[in-house]
Amino acid sequence: MGEVKIKKSRGTFSKITIRGFSFILPALALLIFFFFIPSIYNIQLSLHKISLFQTAGGGGKFVGLANFIKLAKDSEFYNALKNTALWLTLATVGLRLILGFILALLLNSYPLKKWHLAGPARILIFAPWGVPPVVAVTIWKWMLHSRYGAVNLIFQRLGLIRQPISFLTDTSFVWLSIILIIVWRELPFTVVTFLAGLQSIPPELYEVARIDGASWRHELIHITLPLLRPVITIITFMITIWTFNNFVYVWLTTRGGPGNFTHVLGTKVYFESFVNYEIGYGATFGVIMTVIMMIFAIAYFKTFFKRSISGT
Amino acid sequence: MRPFIQKIRDLSIIVLTFFLIGIILFPFFWMIISSVKTPMELLSRELKLIGSQFTLNNYFRIFEAGFLRFIFNSILVCSTATFICVGLVAAPAAYAISRYRFSGRTSIMALIGFTQMFPWVILVTPVFMIFWFLHLVNSYIGLIVVYIAITVPFSIYMLVGYFETIPRALDEAALVDGCSATKTMFLVILPVAWPGLVATFAYTFAVTWNEFIFALTLMTQTEKKTVPVGIANFLGQYTTDWGVVMSASVVATIPTVIFFLLLQRHLVTGLSAGAVKQ
Repeated sequence: MGEVKIKKSRGTFSKITIRGFSFILPALALLIFFFFIPSIYNIQLSLHKISLFQTAGGGGKFVGLANFIKLAKDSEFYNALKNTALWLTLATVGLRLILGFILALLLNSYPLKKWHLAGPARILIFAPWGVPPVVAVTIWKWMLHSRYGAVNLIFQRLGLIRQPISFLTDTSFVWLSIILIIVWRELPFTVVTFLAGLQSIPPELYEVARIDGASWRHELIHITLPLLRPVITIITFMITIWTFNNFVYVWLTTRGGPGNFTHVLGTKVYFESFVNYEIGYGATFGVIMTVIMMIFAIAYFKTFFKRSISGT
Repeated sequence: MRPFIQKIRDLSIIVLTFFLIGIILFPFFWMIISSVKTPMELLSRELKLIGSQFTLNNYFRIFEAGFLRFIFNSILVCSTATFICVGLVAAPAAYAISRYRFSGRTSIMALIGFTQMFPWVILVTPVFMIFWFLHLVNSYIGLIVVYIAITVPFSIYMLVGYFETIPRALDEAALVDGCSATKTMFLVILPVAWPGLVATFAYTFAVTWNEFIFALTLMTQTEKKTVPVGIANFLGQYTTDWGVVMSASVVATIPTVIFFLLLQRHLVTGLSAGAVKQ
């Protein structure tokens, strides 16, 4: 009797849960198989000394935390960590936010709309995002070529430089080049998101401000930026994480070179596993990356998201 | 006097915008121009915006180098993965998230958000090992499974945004008419949501078409390689045939640029909806 009663009272509830889960099940299974299990396996690998050639035997030796101790003493790790945080992430995210905001303001400006140029301009700015990252790197490697690259030829023609610059092998220019490639390819996403944010601000606010005699700068500081805050908060979070984890730009542009100068954590994971064949040590870099990202995500949520929620 | 100053200001904003766009688009122009230059003119120290001789030789050479095979591999893997991901895995999941308030819904959405933030490069080593044991290295099926998995979270996220715009009255009407939940989703809601569905297809296809690191590690045989890895291989360490690299780049860019230009309006809504709504 009792059982029937429980079933009845929770009948509709559990039916919906079962149906919901049956629709989600394929996606959930895939995520568990692909994200959850490999993450655990990655931790296990990081505790072993195992070479890529030993994979068939399934072997490898359990070494405890030896890989982590090796990493803590490895100057290469600190170099990669600094490169990842400072050049790969901070520099490109900062530039994308500033340039993306300026371009979004231009695209949303009154003159462009009046002359019906906002649409075409937006489509054109969108274009680099359609380029595969691999292609973005090849185009720029050709443009930045030390002898025949367009950038050197243009700079020399304009009289800006006398000798051609080796953009990809000179340590004072190589990070600048990588940053340029990333910002060029990834800027459209920031522009488009900012633009959507700008368009969601009610125009009446600006009309009222103008009646009150607010200047262009006042509007920016007192209306646009505060109302864009949620957009800025979330897009900064997203692009920071995507860039921090990125492997392809640095790997294809320099392979970590010249020497080890431009290695980042993402390229180290690949380099240790598939070039040095040290799967265990490569996995250790992966574990450290995950830990850093989790700390960053939690800290970011605590400081920015909470505040923007309690603020509204 | 006033309208005159206003006009100057308008004009300078327009000129500035299109000057910046010009800089942004110059690499495209240079890629296309370089792909039809002769080797002689490519390796000239003289700055020529347009070569004096036009040649399609570079394009013939990439196909001689086996590029057609890479294109075939990419189309096969990416379109299969996209179709299964969006149509069979992400659409039902997004429909359930949008329509049913079941327990565990919030934690599943958090999980989806978390996987979106997950560094793919970390997964490469363990996935390679697991696939090695399962004999899925150098297998189309292996790469297809990977591509479905990495695109599922964002596809769900995009589709939920589109499904939310479809009135629930439609579902209820279908249910009253005796449709099952599965039928309602596939025959009533998906056809109405087609612009969102197409945008999600396009975005997913582009992500897989661009994907590099899994294709690099999981496909080691030359005849199994995809377009991005093929191009990276053309970039020799010491000598690079830039005409070949540029024409391969043009070919690799065509599908994604077409998708993005055709669908940019839908993509913008889908991608930024979540961020703006927050």
